[in-house]
Formats: sequence, structure tokens, C-alpha cells
Amino acid sequence: MTPPPPAISVRGLRKRYGNAEVVSGVSFEVAPGEILGLIGPNGAGKTTTLECLLGLRQPDEGDIRVLGIDARARPDEVRQRIGAQLQVSALPDAMTPRQALRLCGAFYRSPVEPEELLRTFGLAERSDARFSSLSAGQARRLALALAFVNDPQVVVLDEPSAGLDPASRRDLHRLIAAQRSARRAVVFTTHYLEEARSLCDRIALLDRGRLLALGPPEELVAGSKVRPRLIVELRPPLARDSLAALAGVGRCDPEGAGWSLETDSLPGTLAGLAALAAASGTELAEVRLRRPTLDDVFFELTGRSRAEDEPA
Amino acid sequence: MIRGFLYHFLLTLRLNFKNRQALIYGYFVPVFFLIAFGTLFRAGDPPLLRQMSQLLTISVLGGACFGLPTALVSERERGLWRRFRLLPGALVPLLASTLLARTILVAGACLLQIVLAHGIYGTPFPQDPWMLAGGFAAVAAAFLGMGLVVAALADDVPAVQALGQCLFLPLIMIGGVGVPLLALPPWAQCLASFFPGRYAVDALQAGYSGEGTAGVLAFNLEALGLFALAAGAAGARLFRWDGAQRMGRPGRLWVAGAVVPWLAVGAFSAATGRWHALGPVNTAAAITGAELNAISFERLPPDDGIFTPIAPPDFAKGLSPADKARLDAIAFNLGTWAPANDPDPSQSIRALLNVAAVADVAEDRLEGPIARTVLNLLFARYRRQDLVHGLAWIALRPGEGEARSSVAEVGVPGRIDPKEVRARSAIYAAKFLGRIRGRIAD
Repeated sequence: MTPPPPAISVRGLRKRYGNAEVVSGVSFEVAPGEILGLIGPNGAGKTTTLECLLGLRQPDEGDIRVLGIDARARPDEVRQRIGAQLQVSALPDAMTPRQALRLCGAFYRSPVEPEELLRTFGLAERSDARFSSLSAGQARRLALALAFVNDPQVVVLDEPSAGLDPASRRDLHRLIAAQRSARRAVVFTTHYLEEARSLCDRIALLDRGRLLALGPPEELVAGSKVRPRLIVELRPPLARDSLAALAGVGRCDPEGAGWSLETDSLPGTLAGLAALAAASGTELAEVRLRRPTLDDVFFELTGRSRAEDEPA
Repeated sequence: MIRGFLYHFLLTLRLNFKNRQALIYGYFVPVFFLIAFGTLFRAGDPPLLRQMSQLLTISVLGGACFGLPTALVSERERGLWRRFRLLPGALVPLLASTLLARTILVAGACLLQIVLAHGIYGTPFPQDPWMLAGGFAAVAAAFLGMGLVVAALADDVPAVQALGQCLFLPLIMIGGVGVPLLALPPWAQCLASFFPGRYAVDALQAGYSGEGTAGVLAFNLEALGLFALAAGAAGARLFRWDGAQRMGRPGRLWVAGAVVPWLAVGAFSAATGRWHALGPVNTAAAITGAELNAISFERLPPDDGIFTPIAPPDFAKGLSPADKARLDAIAFNLGTWAPANDPDPSQSIRALLNVAAVADVAEDRLEGPIARTVLNLLFARYRRQDLVHGLAWIALRPGEGEARSSVAEVGVPGRIDPKEVRARSAIYAAKFLGRIRGRIAD
């Protein structure tokens, strides 16, 4: 028996604007019920990749299939099955959420009832309000509701949490996570690495149009060359040299009132630290372990410094 | 798809009426133009009849140059069309419904102008509403196609205003839309034939007052159809759902392709002499037998009375040599007078009757003999059928055609109110017609 096709399959995607190649041979697959996060600095090619997937841009090269359908050859068939929320898409000032849902739903074979979407996205009380009177969060929820108007099998969200308050962001995270049980494939872009780590089954890291890494967040972190750090605070403080000389310590940087020790031998460094403290009569006021995070992976792979491109 | 088309069409209409700016531009401005034209042309007879096609064309042109592209470009700037692009098979029906809604909105503005013109100035309602509707459809298609091209060319809303003015102002000033074509010098009339406005005005006037022959109307509609086809194809081809899309060299060729029919139709008009402004209204040929039979000859003023006198056939016996010489001179002048030799017999008959009417209102000492001279000339010059139709037209529709308030060049002094000239000409026409038809003894 032939296995079902992946919900999304992108192979060798390339897109150029003039002489600049903004997407360079990107390939990935997303299974039904899987959540894939696209992360990367500004200009990495995340949005262009999504736009090619949605048929908003014509790729120069590559193969895109959604549920086995060739997206370049049969874009309208793909659009019947895909729901999308763009970064920017305002509605006319006087249009109401109900009208917007009814209008967009009218182009699908099996649209979801506007009332149901209005309830699901917390817009029931504002269903007949003018778009211009909606709060930013309500407008964002309406944009999300529009992405679900066709009961899609694939959902594409471009920076869905940008500009949301914490409560709305939490609701959004719940909504995205709930798509697993509905067997919907979700692809979304984000600048929030913690959001990507907590929500995504896999993460694709893009930079300058190239796919630098693709995998579950834990695997990406585990595969990182970044070493764990011990954050220590001693009273009275000890000199840097004595800490830098501990077993396994590669770097010793000041952090707060203490030091950050990068180590490739956690047990050895800890043992040495305890011995040093006992010998010098110093109190270990604080000892914390900081394991490598997605942030570290991001900066390691993109080669950027935190100061250069601190995520928003 | 049909569902989406219909829903978007109705929604666009509803939202338009919730948009104050759209209401001001869509309805207040056309009413302002009506009042402005009314102030200038209210003395016409009937008032504004010959300006209604200009007014309606201005309304359609405003909707095309500003209303449609402003709406499309502002929606594009807000990302609405980008959102629509994600819907399956939606762009074409949504664009079509936008155009249809705009057509309906502009038609509403035109209807408002027609009703207000009738109510305020007494302008007659369109003579042939179906022909007017057909002309309107052709004009709307041609101009809204241009609006699509403007929307494709403009990167933002201020650019729409700039580009729209580049179209609007030339058409208004020298395109025969704002300034009447007849008021323009010949070179400008010829130049106007290279703009679509004059064909729009003529096509609408045909429905409003029956002006122009069937051939002229067909030519105007064909020209407008060609403009609509070229501009519509270019506008649809160049339609930008995303502001980031840029027009390349092929795009500029499409824009040029939208303008080529202007040049082609203009060159054809210039080569075939169609660039001349249409003459005044003449529906003499359309007078029916029933209308003719309905003309009453019973309550006409007596020939020897104060109003519209006609001297008896043997009037020359009692004239002094000086009066006889003056009358001979008038008869001679009438023979060579250009308006009396108009190729259109109905119009030349009207011009001759105007001479009798001016003499009557001016209380010329020879008013009766002058009327008799005109009558004799008419009987001598025209075939019975032409004369019957011409006189019936003047008697039944005194407001049509061109009335002359002064005929001093033929030797009859005085400057008379055109309305009065038309009224007296109508009475003379009935009197002469009664004689031809044997209903009035001479």
C-alpha cells in the first residue's frame, strides 16, 4: 500500500528578485498533524518561502506539492485545501467580521459557517462591528478565522503572534497546538524562538535563503556546538584566573555579580568549583546551569551576534 | 465562484453607502456639476437638454478616473487583494463584481442627475431610455477600462489622483466633454476626435434627445466598444493585486495598446469627416402619421390678426414701390441665405419660418407679406412630403433644432427671445401645414 503523501512537500525551491536569490534550494516536508516552524533573521526567506507555497509568488525553480497536488500546476486546487494568514491584510473599514467570513467562504466548496468561526475565535460579540473598530488583537483573530474558513487540511501562518498581547498569544498557541489532533499540518513563521521551541514538532532555520537546519527543537539543541555554562556567584568573589583554570572550562565571562563558565566537562568543573570554594573559604552563593538553547543554535548557525540581531 | 461574485457585488454596494468619502465623490460631485451646468445653460430651450450627455459623461469619467482606481489602489495598499489572491479562482470574479458595482454606482449618480435636472430645470426626460442605457453601458465599459489601467499604473492613491487628472482634464477641456464640442474651434474639434469623450457624449445624447443618425450612433458605439476592449484587456492583464508587483516593458506595451484605438478612431474620424460636432436635434423623420393627424388647425390665430399674420395671396397689389422693393430684396436674400439652404430640409424650413416669426414678434410693418413670401418660397422649393414632415416637426416639437433669434442678414431687423421665435414658428408651421393638407382655406 502506498503511504499517504506528506501534507506539504517542498523540493529545491529557488526564488530570485533580480540578481538576488532570496530562496536558495530550500527543501522540507510536513506531515499531516505536524507543526513546522520557520525561523530565521529578517531577510532569511521565510515569508518568500510561504508565499511560494501559497501561490502568491511564482518560484524560479523547485517542486511544491500540497497533499500530493502540484501547487504550481493546480494552484486553485491547493487553495481549496490550504488556509493562510498573511502578515498584513486589512479589510475595508466598514466590513464586519461576519461579512468578511461570508465573503471568503463563498469561494470554497465546503465553507465553515461564519457563526462557528466567530465563536471559535472569540469574535461573536464583535461579529457585526466595523473592521475599523476592532482592536489589533481582534483584527488578528479575524485574520486567523479567515485562515480556517475552508476547514483546511494545511494551515500557513506568517508571524501569527506578532503584535499580540500575552493573553491573545496564549490563545493562539493553544489554537496552533490543537491542530495536531485535527490532523492539520501547520507551517508558521516566527521571530519568537521560545514560541517555536514550545509549539513546533520540527523547526526549519533559514538564513539568507538557505535552509541551515531542520529537525525537532531538542535535536537541534543537542546537535549544537554551543557548550553548557555554569553561572556562579561567590562571596567573597574569586579572581577570574582561578575560575578559568578549573577543569573543563573553556571561557570565563563576567555575568551579573558573578561569572559564566563555559564548560565541556560539567562534572569536572562542578567538582573543581566545590573544591576551590572549600579551599578558599568562599561561599557558593549561587550556582546555575544554563544548557544550550534554540537561541544559541540560531546565533551559532546564522553566525550573527545577539547584539546584531536580537529577536523581537 | 458565482456565489462569491454575487456576495462581493452586493457587499461592495452596501459598503459604498457606508463610506462618506465615496458618497461625496460619487453623488455630491455629480450634483455639483449639474448645478454648475444649470447655472450656465439654464436659458437653453429646453434647458440643459444638449448638456445632459456631457453631464452624464463627466459622472462616468469621474467614476472611472478617480472612483474605481482609488478604491482598487487603496484596497491593494491595505493588502486586501493579496488576501483575495489566496481564495481559489477569486480574482476574476472579484474584479468583475467590483467593475459591475462601480457601473451601478455611477448609473445611480447619472439617474440622480437626470431626475434633478428634470425637477430643477425642467429638462425633459430621455427620449429613448433604452438607447440611453445602451449608450451608458458602452461609455461605462470604455471609461472603467481606462480606470483599470490607471489603477495598474498607479503605485499609491496620490498617484491615482495625478494620473486621473491627466485623463480627466484634457477630456473635459478639449475632449468635448466639459466644453461643448460646438463651442470649440475646428482644430480642437478635430483633436477631440482622438479622445474617447466626444464619442461618449454623442452616444449618450442620441438616447437623450434622439440626436444623430443611426449611422453616427453605430459608429460611436463601435468606437466605445473598441476603447472598452483595448483598455479592459490591458487593465485586466496589468491588474496588480500586490503593491510590490512592478510593471515591466511588456506592461508598458499593454498600456500603449490601450491608447492605440484612440489614435485609430481619431484618424478614421479625421479622414472621413466625422470629427465635426453633431448638428442640433432633428427628429423630423421620426414624425409618425398618427402624430401628423393629431395636429389641430382649429384654434390657430386668424391670418389678419396681430399674432402670426399672413398676407393674402394677392397682397402685392396694395404695396408701395418701396415696400415691394424691400420684399423683393428679402425674397432674394432668402434664396441665398445659408440657413435656408441647409442640406437638411427640415432645418432649412425651420430657418425660413424663423424669419416669419422674427418679423411677427418684431412687429415688422411687412410682417404679413413676409410670412406670405416665406410660404410661397416653401411651396416653390420643397417636395410636399419633405414640407409636411418639416412643418409637422416644427409644429409638434418647437424646442428641437436650431432657432434663430436674429435674421437681420436677410433684411428683417430685430433680436427676439429664442423661445418666442420657436413658439411663433410653431404656429406658422401649423398654419402652413393646414394649407398643404387642405384644412385651411387660403
